[in-house]
Amino acid sequence: MLENEANPNFSKSTGLPRKRFYRARAHSNPLSDSHFPVPLSPSDFDLFLHYPHFFESSGQLSISSRKIEFADIGCGFGGLLISLSTLFPETLMIGMELRDKVTEYVKERILALRVSNPGQYQNVSVVRTNSMKYIPNYFGKEQLSKMFFLFPDPHFKEKNHRRRVISPYLLDEYAYVLRVGGIIYTITDVEELGEWMKTCLEGHPMFEAITEEELEKDPVVKLLSSATEEGQKVARNGGQTFQAVYRRIAPSL
Amino acid sequence: MTDPTPSSVRAFKGPISEPKNPKKLPCLSQMSDGILMEEGEGNRETEVAPALLAVHPFDKFVAVSVGAELRIFDLQGGYSVLVKDDSAGLHKDSIRAIRFSAHGKLLVSAGDDKLVKIWTTDSWCCTTTVYSEKRVSAVAITNDSHFVCFADKFGVVWVVDLTDYSENQALVNKKAVPILAHYCSIITTLEFSPDGRFLISADRDSKIRVTVFPKKPLVGAHEIQRFCLGHTEFVSCLAFVSIPDCHEALLVSGSGDSTVRLWDVTDGTLLDTCEVGTEVLAVDLI
Repeated sequence: MLENEANPNFSKSTGLPRKRFYRARAHSNPLSDSHFPVPLSPSDFDLFLHYPHFFESSGQLSISSRKIEFADIGCGFGGLLISLSTLFPETLMIGMELRDKVTEYVKERILALRVSNPGQYQNVSVVRTNSMKYIPNYFGKEQLSKMFFLFPDPHFKEKNHRRRVISPYLLDEYAYVLRVGGIIYTITDVEELGEWMKTCLEGHPMFEAITEEELEKDPVVKLLSSATEEGQKVARNGGQTFQAVYRRIAPSL
Repeated sequence: MTDPTPSSVRAFKGPISEPKNPKKLPCLSQMSDGILMEEGEGNRETEVAPALLAVHPFDKFVAVSVGAELRIFDLQGGYSVLVKDDSAGLHKDSIRAIRFSAHGKLLVSAGDDKLVKIWTTDSWCCTTTVYSEKRVSAVAITNDSHFVCFADKFGVVWVVDLTDYSENQALVNKKAVPILAHYCSIITTLEFSPDGRFLISADRDSKIRVTVFPKKPLVGAHEIQRFCLGHTEFVSCLAFVSIPDCHEALLVSGSGDSTVRLWDVTDGTLLDTCEVGTEVLAVDLI
């Protein structure tokens, strides 16, 4: 990582990438056919590349039963993942982000943290992809135990509602990759979107609401509004947040 | 038990919609061991919808759609039959999918005029016309003929309930209900598994989705059984094949990636891949 010290995009003091050199627009068109590599199927996803500490080589993947369990959809600058990484050091987790520059930033951030904190942050990684189209390419049936949708793009106009990352149709796919008992976490500062996401989840037969009691006990819930850059911005501006946390259940016959 | 041979053969000119990557169309036509590959047309200027062919399950009729016209030939009588629809009218734009029901009493046709028309094969009258919001790209009928599913160009699959259908009934206005969707992808083909458990939908983004078809589909088909992933180009066609000594039918798919693949739909495993050497446009069993 010697190159980071000389790299002007990185801070000399912390060795971490500086956000201002990874500027990107807040929005990215999820409908466009971007050209980034997508694994043909979950077994083709190179876990060794992302988590070298946990796998000896690409050849070991079929022997190891370790799989990614947490997915942060639209991970932005990686705030949540970084916090989760130390909270769950033995769990593999991944961030999915559509914007190229932002994905680069998260990648550099993770690599720098791995260097400055030996042994830590080996369980977290990021991939540039369109999760609305390709989630089944990355995760197998009932693989994940947690999925995060923090401050997704609201797509205010009615005609753009179909671009929203939480929708009745896409929830079928999220239910497919989440195991029974797995949890989906959503939060937004846009009230209408919060209502929308809650209605979609409430109306889906494979999700049920989690009680207030259980939410209190879950250490992850507090991170939803505090761990990400977006969440911190909302808190700074004194805004309100709306969360919907649901559990994946087996469909009733 | 009769072998559930798929009763329709579909001929595509090429990818349903690929304006960005125009593919070279195959000019060969081959027949080998039950796989039929269709000829493409070289002329792309006049974008005519490909002619479609469907054969009645008991070989009573052959149905051919040419553009907006639906032509029926009575094989037993040896003459052509005119279809009638005095109230809603005939198709006004290219027909994109035609299919006979398993019991042969119905034919379903749908296409670019956003109409799904259900014809009775006794009198060849259109008993029901269902209005779709978008152009229709594929249709499928359950084996018991209780439900008709169709896919629109936005990737949404709709279901029409025909359980109270009766040939003698006056024209009934049926409404379709959306049950699932492939995100922003055109669904090229729909197929029910022979045991009726699953609805298979394939799209132009090389995905094949196996969904559990519920007893009450009007509330949606939310439970995905598996994805069959492996094709690298648009999936153009699906067919089920029954193997002796194997109680479950296997899925065969053809794709623009020049392969025909064999799948077990219950766990999504790819059983075999056959390199065909040219874009596969249609599969059927003889």
